[in-house]
Amino acid sequence: MNPKYEQPPSKEVLMKQASRVMKLTAFLLLAAIASGCVTSTIVDARTAKTGINEGDTVVIMAKSYHLGNETELKYIRCIEENLARGQEGLTVIPHDEFVDSLFPWFEPRTAPAETKNLAKLMDRPGVADKIAEQGIRYIIWLDGDTDRVAGGGSLSCAVGPGGGGCFGFAWWQNDADYDASVWDLEGLESAGTVSADVTGTSYMPALVIPLPLIARTQSRSCKSLAAQLHKFIVQDETA
Amino acid sequence: MHRTALLGLLLIGMLGGCVSNVTLKAPTIPEPLLAQIQMSVGVRMPLEFEHYVHEEMVYGHEEWSIDLGRSNAALFEQLFKYMFSSVTVLDPDDDPQLMDLDALIEPSIDAFEFSTPGQSNTEAFAVWIRYRLKVFDSDGNLVSNWPVAAYGKSQTTKMGGSSALQRAAILAMRDAAALMIMKFDNVTRISDLAGGSSAPKSPLLRPKPETTDESEVRTTALEGSSDETG
Repeated sequence: MNPKYEQPPSKEVLMKQASRVMKLTAFLLLAAIASGCVTSTIVDARTAKTGINEGDTVVIMAKSYHLGNETELKYIRCIEENLARGQEGLTVIPHDEFVDSLFPWFEPRTAPAETKNLAKLMDRPGVADKIAEQGIRYIIWLDGDTDRVAGGGSLSCAVGPGGGGCFGFAWWQNDADYDASVWDLEGLESAGTVSADVTGTSYMPALVIPLPLIARTQSRSCKSLAAQLHKFIVQDETA
Repeated sequence: MHRTALLGLLLIGMLGGCVSNVTLKAPTIPEPLLAQIQMSVGVRMPLEFEHYVHEEMVYGHEEWSIDLGRSNAALFEQLFKYMFSSVTVLDPDDDPQLMDLDALIEPSIDAFEFSTPGQSNTEAFAVWIRYRLKVFDSDGNLVSNWPVAAYGKSQTTKMGGSSALQRAAILAMRDAAALMIMKFDNVTRISDLAGGSSAPKSPLLRPKPETTDESEVRTTALEGSSDETG
């Protein structure tokens, strides 16, 4: 039985395929490079000396939703990941693990709202031991969220038997406004706050194919805030 | 006949698509950091705690069916075992008077409510649960009747609304547990019943000075304080 071989594709077919791949790559590259406009303002205000020793850990918490706060879970995780990243990354205790280990004293209803409540909290059975066991030096409380503050334009899409497409232009603006309060558990005091206010405008022009130019507002806010928090904790300006 | 059956199945399938079903797994309460109350309590769970289903038609949207299963029973079993040194969960036929108990606790659920992102115009599901805890002394007298209002909120994720609603319900149960750990003894004075006392040594709640109606004073005293702030 003779084996059957397929004929190799012709030169024209190969050229057409290469051209398609190049067009697709160029389109993806353009989409990746082109993004919306983002402006950010990062401010910190220090009230006490900071610093971190070997074995010290930090925990990221969101202020209680009982107080109207709506910090997103994914933002907390993003800050945790960014603070822990790199060779000089901090040791971050995952907030779920921390909250469970100190149940019920860091639940949304019971968590201390001010540093003056810390001393009373530490006197509760087992609390100081659990905090010492995990080496927690700083608790960082996040307050804020990302909101869509403006938008406009018009974009419509249609599909028919011969194909489909979109036409128009839409834009929207997101505002990621977050404050991080740093509590030092060594002195049971507030070390200060770091704020990040990031505004981003996204655009979506469409001429048959929509081309989204997305401003990664929340992601930029997270990276900027985490970087500033790292400096705030590690680099002691008052030393 | 065959075609009718197919059409029927299709119709049921379409109608089924309008109902959002959420099934909750029994929550696990972490071991709390607390000073255990040294006394023997009995707990009588209502039958509905073994299988609680909340059904609600969200106006203009869809029907929700939330099956809490035995989550409520699991919550109170775990919680009371952490809070008291000896806990006996009573069967429906058990007579607490014949048992060596300092107090009997009867939890129940007054209301379960929730809101969807569409209703609240946010990206979060919220759940409110109102429990009621009745405490009886060893003689069977009602000594406290405490309404416990709990709240949980969870934002929608890529996992979908069902997952966010489950998380909100679990957070509401944890919220109830936190409140009970903080306030149970302050509100109900249950520790005063340790050793078989037939009434709390201290008053459950100071009567309101402006109240003159005797029955109203008694009701206030039995309901206890519902101050929920930390």
